[in-house]
Amino acid sequence: MASGLRKVYHTGEVDVVALHGVDLSLDGGELVVLLGASGSGKSTLLNILGGLDTPTSGSLSYRGWPLDGTDEQTLTLYRRNCVGFVFQFYNLIPSLTARENVALITGISRDPMPPEEALAMVGLAARMDHFPSQLSGGEQQRVAIARAIAKRPEVLLCDEPTGALDVTTGIQVLEAIERINRELGTLTVVITHNAVMAEMADRVLHLSDGRIVKERRNTERRPVSSLEW
Amino acid sequence: MLDPLDLKLLRDLGRMKGQVVAVSLVMACGLAMMIMTRSLILTLESTRAAYYQSHAMADVFVSLKRAPLAVADRVTDIPGVARVEARVAVNVTLDLPTMPEPASGRVISLPEDGSPQRLNRLFLRSGRLPRIDARREAVLGEAFATANGMKPGDNLTVVINGRRETLEICGIALSPEFVFEARPGETLPDHRRFSVLWMNYRALAVAYNLDGAFNDLCLDLAPGAQAEPVLREVDRLLEPYGGTGSYTRRDQASAQRLDDELRVLGSLALVYPLVFLSVAAFMVNAVLSRIVRLQREQIAQMKALGYASWQVGLHYMKFVLVIGFLGTLIGGLGGRWLGADLLSLYELFFLFPKLEFRMDYSALGLALLVCLGASAAGVLTVVWQAVKLPPAEAMRPEPPTDFKPSVFERIGLTNLFSPTLRMALRNIERKPWQALFTCCGLSLATGLMVLPGAMSDSIDYLLTFQWNRQQRHDVAVFLTEPGSPSGFHDLEHLPGVIRAESIRSVPARLRFGHRSRKLAVTGLEPGAYLNRLLDADCNVIDLPHDGLVMSEKLAEVLGAGIGDMIQVEVMEGRRPSLQIPLRGTVTDFAGVDAFMDITALRRMLKEGETINGAFLTIDHNRWDEFMRGIKDTPRSAAVMVKRDQLAAFRETTAKSIDTIRGLYFVLAVIVAFGVVYNSARISLSERSRELATLRVVGFRLGEVRGLLIGELGILVLVALPVGLLFGRGLALYIMSSFSTETVRLPIVIDPSTYSLAVTVVATAAAISFALVGRMVGKLDLVGVLKARD
Repeated sequence: MASGLRKVYHTGEVDVVALHGVDLSLDGGELVVLLGASGSGKSTLLNILGGLDTPTSGSLSYRGWPLDGTDEQTLTLYRRNCVGFVFQFYNLIPSLTARENVALITGISRDPMPPEEALAMVGLAARMDHFPSQLSGGEQQRVAIARAIAKRPEVLLCDEPTGALDVTTGIQVLEAIERINRELGTLTVVITHNAVMAEMADRVLHLSDGRIVKERRNTERRPVSSLEW
Repeated sequence: MLDPLDLKLLRDLGRMKGQVVAVSLVMACGLAMMIMTRSLILTLESTRAAYYQSHAMADVFVSLKRAPLAVADRVTDIPGVARVEARVAVNVTLDLPTMPEPASGRVISLPEDGSPQRLNRLFLRSGRLPRIDARREAVLGEAFATANGMKPGDNLTVVINGRRETLEICGIALSPEFVFEARPGETLPDHRRFSVLWMNYRALAVAYNLDGAFNDLCLDLAPGAQAEPVLREVDRLLEPYGGTGSYTRRDQASAQRLDDELRVLGSLALVYPLVFLSVAAFMVNAVLSRIVRLQREQIAQMKALGYASWQVGLHYMKFVLVIGFLGTLIGGLGGRWLGADLLSLYELFFLFPKLEFRMDYSALGLALLVCLGASAAGVLTVVWQAVKLPPAEAMRPEPPTDFKPSVFERIGLTNLFSPTLRMALRNIERKPWQALFTCCGLSLATGLMVLPGAMSDSIDYLLTFQWNRQQRHDVAVFLTEPGSPSGFHDLEHLPGVIRAESIRSVPARLRFGHRSRKLAVTGLEPGAYLNRLLDADCNVIDLPHDGLVMSEKLAEVLGAGIGDMIQVEVMEGRRPSLQIPLRGTVTDFAGVDAFMDITALRRMLKEGETINGAFLTIDHNRWDEFMRGIKDTPRSAAVMVKRDQLAAFRETTAKSIDTIRGLYFVLAVIVAFGVVYNSARISLSERSRELATLRVVGFRLGEVRGLLIGELGILVLVALPVGLLFGRGLALYIMSSFSTETVRLPIVIDPSTYSLAVTVVATAAAISFALVGRMVGKLDLVGVLKARD
């Protein structure tokens, strides 16, 4: 639950306002797509929602647990137990195999699923012992998703998860995300500037200039396999 | 307006200033040390050369019993001889009212007519030379005058040939012959208790019944003349007059000591600083390789903009140059300052009219060239790999680095390792060269810590060995002339003497093959208790009934082994020349000596119970009484109090080694910190993305820090034992090159030295890890993750 979120970056002598007072309420199990052009503030919003950054003003809470103005330790705990991240550039540890990359997280979580199960969910059961250098871009991103969901997070935040991928692989990755959302009931927020992807969401938020300018609820989620761009 | 690439250079350097400072400091330490020692060598060598030249230091020296002055003219006629100075030189006892024990002196005659000396001319610091015909005036050595607060106009009581005389000090002077001024046969200066004096010839000659004669001679060789034939001819000519064998400047006590010191400095000037510079080269290499890898895309962009490969290459080479320039500046200034400061230590040992620091700029240039060369060579390959990539390819992100399970995992040890340890091991195996370089740097830094500790251990051992185990007497007394058994009886019955052992020593030339040394062969009583001969393990060596025992170093210099027959040419009395077998060697650390059973020696000399002196132990309650007694013993020429010698050793040699040790220790600590900090910084920069990812997915700060430190920790653990082994080798090598005929250091390394080295490196690691750990806390999580690899 967020209300009146403002974020101002001080770069040198100039103040850049990235968020102009955003009010937002996200419900469990939803799949939300955040659409917006570069610089619209969508990544800033996602980072704040994920506990990677704190708002300059406004309030933010997770299940009644205040996240604004809180200390680094609480944010770490929040990230560790509640949030899974997927980034545009997979950010896997190159010296660990797919299974070990996932195990890295399951080792520190309260109630994780076995790494093998997480990898099976993203369709990588057969390639668990490969190192990142032995996997394609799509496969690497799916390992990143497995890593994000292995701790059974209640929130999955994906920042341009298909940004570095071609269409076919992009679809595979989105399918994995959609499946996680459906089967685990994880609140999933996907950032993209690709409007086509809005079709797979329960709710679409349009961001522009640091404000939510439009909100739309899809009556029906379109299967990812039917998307094209 | 600066070139844009140079602006980029400055800003890049500004961002990595911590590392730039660390690398420059390590480089500066090596340079400072090299410049300091090379400059000290230059200073001592050039000062010595100028002093010897301006004050006519003689080339050849010889002592004899007594020869008419006319013989000196015959020496002048020997082909190859340029100038001759015949003189009287005697050992005397000095009586200072302020000192209970007698001091000793060596008085040398000055030309009677007031003309300047032809050779070994005095440098008069203050006052004047004795007036013509003055009988009671003397010029006093500066060091003794300073140590005892004496000045021209003061009186000094001197026992001259058994008679107490009061001399007036007319001047204070230095002589090139006594740059190192110590009692004959002593390796340590004791300026409070020994001095050289100069008096008019007649005053001295008459007292010793040498009027119209001389007992000491020095000469100058004509330009280009060979020393050997001159020495032979001088010895032949002076033999009937009791000549004890001529020797060149190389074997003259003061000159030899100076040579030895320069040799020691020389051994410190190269190898040890080179290790520092190698560490610096490793560090430069590591830092630059990292920058080049990080700036892969920038390199591609520069090339896409039209910069030629050589321009890009030059740009990165400038990083090396800037670091080198900074290092040189700090090292040059530091070396100059340290050298000038250390020079004051040399003033304790070596007496020059003026010792002014001279900077050795050629060493600076050479050291810089070597260091920059090594760094640049390493960096060149990395730069070359970066510039040879086509720009389009270089601008694409680098594919994920290829990893495979580590050796340990391949042999089935996977389950033993946590994922973080696995990451560390695979990282090390993936970049073996980088790991090896880091390890080398860390090992060298660890090794550098060993030498200073070893020097200190060595001095401690030497003190115990020499002053507790070997010498157990309180006082050694030497007579002016060999004396009859009554002389020993007199000493034995001085008040307070508990135990006395007689000494008989004769000057001799020991020859083996073509090598020879002139020294005193000392006869000791069988089963001697007060001055024991020991081997390296402190076992007492019993003197054989026949045959010689000599210092290990002397045997080494002569190239003789046990059982070899040594030619002993005695230069006293009947001057017998005999073949005597070498029966054993002893371990000692100052000077070189040869020993025989006193009875065997006397038998060889065909004499009765003659003595030169005695070792005594004294009842400490009757110390002053004993000292008064010995002052009144007219024939005692030198009284060496062990306690004073130990104090003198502590004040001079121990102090100087301690200063150098302290300096090396500080420099080694700087290097240890520099290397570990630099490695930790590089590790942080290379892995910031991984670390940020882990932070994002919920790892605690402490867990992420542990991961960063793990890999480096493994390298430190590997480097420590290797470094200790290397340090041991380095210390052994450098300390064994200290081994000269005048002074040697025992090679002893205490376990505490190793633990100190480990502690310092481990502490450096802990502090560096803490500093870098703080930076992990400041990682820009979002920024790092947004950026492409």
